[in-house]
Amino acid sequence: MQIDIRVQQAAFDAVAMQQRLTARRRDIGALVSFTGLVRDINERPDVEALTLEHFPGMTEQALEAIARDAGARWPLTGVGVVHRVGRLPGDPIVLVMVTSAHRRAAFEACDFIMDRLKTRAPFWKKEHTASGDYWVSERQSDHDDAGRWERA
Amino acid sequence: MTLTHLNARGEAHMVDVADKPESRREARARGRIRMQPATLALLAEGGLPKGDVLATARIAGIQAAKRTHELIPLCHALALSKVTLDFELDSTQGCVWVEAFCRLNGRTGVEMEALTAVSVACLTLYDMCKAVDKAMIIDGVQLEEKRGGRSGDFSRQAQQTQEAAADVQPAVRGENPLHGETPVVSVRFLAELRERLGTEQTELDPAQLAVADIAGVKRALMAADPRYALLEEGRVLAACNQIMATDATPVAPGDEVAFFPPVTGG
Repeated sequence: MQIDIRVQQAAFDAVAMQQRLTARRRDIGALVSFTGLVRDINERPDVEALTLEHFPGMTEQALEAIARDAGARWPLTGVGVVHRVGRLPGDPIVLVMVTSAHRRAAFEACDFIMDRLKTRAPFWKKEHTASGDYWVSERQSDHDDAGRWERA
Repeated sequence: MTLTHLNARGEAHMVDVADKPESRREARARGRIRMQPATLALLAEGGLPKGDVLATARIAGIQAAKRTHELIPLCHALALSKVTLDFELDSTQGCVWVEAFCRLNGRTGVEMEALTAVSVACLTLYDMCKAVDKAMIIDGVQLEEKRGGRSGDFSRQAQQTQEAAADVQPAVRGENPLHGETPVVSVRFLAELRERLGTEQTELDPAQLAVADIAGVKRALMAADPRYALLEEGRVLAACNQIMATDATPVAPGDEVAFFPPVTGG
């Protein structure tokens, strides 16, 4: 399984990731991707920008471990994850792309990777709003979502 | 600094060592293979299908050291006087550390032999364990030290100590950085926790730890400064050497401990 993990400040190009995951392969029947964008309303209205902090080294290892866990649960041919860090305006901040011979594995693995990423990968989000800056709190709903894969 | 394996025209060539004096040459190299905890446990119990894994990897490493010149194009064939392979099962980091030592009295260094021994021993460990774990990772293959020869001695540890001394972090709120003989436990704080503490990084003398685990690190910090009571407020996560840790995770001198809030990426 091909794993392509990137943590970067720069904007990402989903087409470039698609090309990296599919180049010279004829065994891929499905590609599913998720892109996470910044909403203008989160815990408070008027989110103007956000700052993503990570733990260099540990974050990349954690993302790779999540990709490998997905590969152990579904027959995948590739997993690509790009997560942006630093101060970002309202752009896409995360991309998860999964390829497989069949669509069901790709859909489920993509969902699984996002749930794990939100609860296990060392990233911290600070929102800059019209009424001040604050660190985003963890959400029970994210843990509930991630918990679905433990019961399954 | 020149590359000795290139001649004046930039072509590859083997260095003529006929006129170099013989001297005692030694090299020590290290690397590791990371694996699932269950695989490591099987390896420790001798429960793997291909049998005695470490004994096989040891012989493979010794054989590889002797045959390095067949693999690396411009290496000389050497009559090694000693080759040893040591293995250390590390359940904290989930890996097997492999260390090779080579020695001879001769005209060329033996670092390629030590590095080849480590690499092939790691590959053999992979082969012996792959039936139960295909996701193992071989990494960190590096020369630790070499002695003898014109280029002189090399020690990674001495080099790193020098670099660390040249790059001393300022002391945080009067706590003394302890760059001495004993490695310290370095502690860092991330995200909101760092902002609330007003501290990015500090160090603990391992002697300050009543119990050498994450809970012990918290207690030592709180004893040193009441601000660190924040570590007991709400949910604070910890990592040791960049691997998620719990209160009971052991902490050794030289380890890096990190404390941070629950993660909120994505």
